[in-house]
Amino acid sequence: MDSLLVVLFSAATSVSTLLIASIGLAVIFGLMRIINMAHGEFLMIGAFTTVVLVRTLGLPVLVAALGGAATAALLGFVVEIVLIRPLYGRRLVDTLLVTFGLSLVLFQLAVNIFGTTSPGISTPFGAVAIGEYSVSVYSLLLIPVAGLLMLAVYLVFTRTKYGLLARAAAQNPEMASALGVDARKINKLTFMFGAALAGLGGGLLAPIVAVSPGMGQSYIGQAFMTVITGGQAFLLGTLASATALGGVQNIVAQLVTTFWGLAALFLTSIIILRFMPEGISARWKRQL
Amino acid sequence: MTDLASSQTENGTAVLTGNKNGILQGVADWKHAKTGAAMIVTAIAILIAVNFFSLADQLKWTLWVSFGIVAMSLSFIWGKAGIFSFGQNALFGIGAYGYAILSLNLFPYSGETLSALVFAGAAAAAFAAALGYFMFYGRVGDVYLSVLTLAVTLILYTVFSSTAGPQYRIGEATLGGFNGMPGLPTLTFWIPGSGSVQLEIQALLIFAIGLAAVLYVIMSYAADSRFGEILSGVRDNETRMELLGYDVRFWKWLAFVVGGAIAGIGGGLFAAWGTFTNPSVFGLTQAAMVIIWVMVGGRNSLFGAFVGVVIVQWIADEADKVVSEQTPLILGLMLILSLFLLPNGVVPTATNWVRSWLGAGKSGSRGEATQAAPLAAPLPASEAASEAAAEPVRRGVIVAQNIAKSFGGLLVLRGVDLIFDEAPVYAIIGPNGAGKSTFFNVLTGRVTASQGSISLNGTDVGAMPAFERARLGLGIKLQIASIFPSMTVRQHIDLALRARSTANRGALIERTLRDVDLWERADDQASDLAHGQQQWLEIAMVIAQRPSLILLDEPAAGMSRQEKVRTAQLIERLSRTHRIIVVEHDMAFVRSLEAPVAMLHEGRVFRNGSFEAVCGDEEVINIYLGRRSNAVSA
Repeated sequence: MDSLLVVLFSAATSVSTLLIASIGLAVIFGLMRIINMAHGEFLMIGAFTTVVLVRTLGLPVLVAALGGAATAALLGFVVEIVLIRPLYGRRLVDTLLVTFGLSLVLFQLAVNIFGTTSPGISTPFGAVAIGEYSVSVYSLLLIPVAGLLMLAVYLVFTRTKYGLLARAAAQNPEMASALGVDARKINKLTFMFGAALAGLGGGLLAPIVAVSPGMGQSYIGQAFMTVITGGQAFLLGTLASATALGGVQNIVAQLVTTFWGLAALFLTSIIILRFMPEGISARWKRQL
Repeated sequence: MTDLASSQTENGTAVLTGNKNGILQGVADWKHAKTGAAMIVTAIAILIAVNFFSLADQLKWTLWVSFGIVAMSLSFIWGKAGIFSFGQNALFGIGAYGYAILSLNLFPYSGETLSALVFAGAAAAAFAAALGYFMFYGRVGDVYLSVLTLAVTLILYTVFSSTAGPQYRIGEATLGGFNGMPGLPTLTFWIPGSGSVQLEIQALLIFAIGLAAVLYVIMSYAADSRFGEILSGVRDNETRMELLGYDVRFWKWLAFVVGGAIAGIGGGLFAAWGTFTNPSVFGLTQAAMVIIWVMVGGRNSLFGAFVGVVIVQWIADEADKVVSEQTPLILGLMLILSLFLLPNGVVPTATNWVRSWLGAGKSGSRGEATQAAPLAAPLPASEAASEAAAEPVRRGVIVAQNIAKSFGGLLVLRGVDLIFDEAPVYAIIGPNGAGKSTFFNVLTGRVTASQGSISLNGTDVGAMPAFERARLGLGIKLQIASIFPSMTVRQHIDLALRARSTANRGALIERTLRDVDLWERADDQASDLAHGQQQWLEIAMVIAQRPSLILLDEPAAGMSRQEKVRTAQLIERLSRTHRIIVVEHDMAFVRSLEAPVAMLHEGRVFRNGSFEAVCGDEEVINIYLGRRSNAVSA
């Protein structure tokens, strides 16, 4: 009984982690059709900012993670103006390549500033006992945090003026611009928002992963697969695919090894895409 | 540069072709294998220069040649087939491991490693075939494909990094985890009489250059052959290729497998060069390298791949002397800068400079040749009777039974029964949202019906994809001209004559093009044609397919009255030899066709009969006017 509970919690944590790591990418891809190859580095920057804030100012992790979001949003603001905007209207692959170049630059800059490893921060809140098992409270806490994050993003895109305009511009750009929506402004906000979510994700994950300049690279593969397996409904589709892929990954990892869990994640998503090339949510009526 | 600018203004209004001009600049490279001569000259120059190289330089250049080979594989699948893959370095890595595993096992017995090099190519091709099956037969989209290939690269990195330990061995070969596989035999031949001959450093470089030259010639030939033409068609316009009867999935898959084999051979050479391999061949930096080489060299030029390697590696080496260990930073900056400053790469850009410097004769002819022909205007004067006599009458029969289609929960078609077997022309009409377009797409095969059956000339085609229906004699003209912007007019017809014997090909192409008044433009690029001429070109392609049945989607959309009259004349002319089904919205135009009319309403056939009978019907008028009569609501 206890072991079942632990397995369930572990799977839910795995799903939540995947969701936290992917949501920023999903927003940018879902609304701008841009594959942000530097997503992993935005995560990494959020994580480093959080580590620095916790270690120097002694802020609590959850607050420091907001600082990570702010830093990433600021960077997103600059990146959108300098690198993304000149490429609107060019081939899709160009934005992919430019963000890929950016990710290499950011990685090396992080190595130059922080070195290849970081002291990291300890996982707060200790552990709780479930029967004879001990489970990290922070890992458990990530489950409701991921839920709140999804809810917040959902509310942004259903209840705010920006959210409605952004979805309108994504679904029917011509109509939106005919109605006077400033697509440039919307895109800038969307890119910043996606970057901020990535930074926040990195900050939230900072206590449970090894924070290093290369950490982005260990997440992008999973995050990309989650987002493209999710498909056009960038929020609920990503939730569905994170649940499927994260669940499979965790269960296989528990049965075999972490490595095979990761392999199972990729294999599952490739098989899903073989039969649903536009992702899980391709035929949904809801596009959120 | 001038010719590009002028072609862009010409197409300023052409929505379909306007955005593709960027690709066109370097395409000429593919058509003229002049670069082949450049390659051979370079190879000879290098072979002479080799004698003066230091040992370190000889080693370096051998490495660069192996890089050049994998870069060339990417420029083939990207530039030629339009497949952007992050996975070429993964295939390179599989080649390297393939060489390692086979050479360690076989060398002690066979005394040669040439077989291992061949195996490297075969292993990578096999992997590409498996991966390609999932991607292309699953119809994974472009961007998804690049992400998938990246994910595969990353997972291979993880897989090979975690193979430390004695249990991970294949025969004599231990995979060695993160440290990889050292101590491989270098490239060795077994020559009858003199036994094993191991290539020394200089000999290996000469062999590598020879190998690269051979692969380059093979790839150039492939790019210029019919295979290359088909790939260009797929890159330019997948939909049109399907409608011409090509299985796009297969051709993309094949290009990917060929590219995989080349990349694998490059990887085998790399392993033979270094006598080791490790998981870093699958790393993200290596993935970046391959793309940057091709970006810098120019994705539309196979030769550019080698130039890109030399430029990028030279800069990286020089930069490393100034600021050490900043490779990712330098690579990233090079990628970003080349994207903004040299989007077409060094070789195509340089080729263009040289060309415009040698004289702008070509650009003049391009500019002047385009006149603004209105849509459907140039109805050829010569034609009609003679052509009708030459063409046998082929009127196919299509029967749609109880066709239903729903999108999500929305029922768009609710059981349509229509038989097209008597009249030469049929028209399908209906107000907006009646299901006309969906029904059209169900007939073409671009949409699969949820229910019901379709038979074409007696064959059940309901489950067939579009390209198979096209092979059975279905010709389809889409509403917006669907052509291949970067190909010549002649190539269009060549592609449309899919499986025709090559004997009278030239004559057939000429006749078809004369028929639509485009013979004078045969060697011009399709994107340089006026809008109306592009429409004609598409019609010429459809006719060249020799269909028995032609489907026309809203042929009168956006036309002036005069143009509509001409289009109706064209339909009449085609109907002498083919059966035509027109899906149309414009009632005056439909009247002029004098054809039986089927009116769709709310996903069903509402009325079926002569134009007068259908359009004289009061309920039909009510529906068109949006009035709600009792009969309809009941």
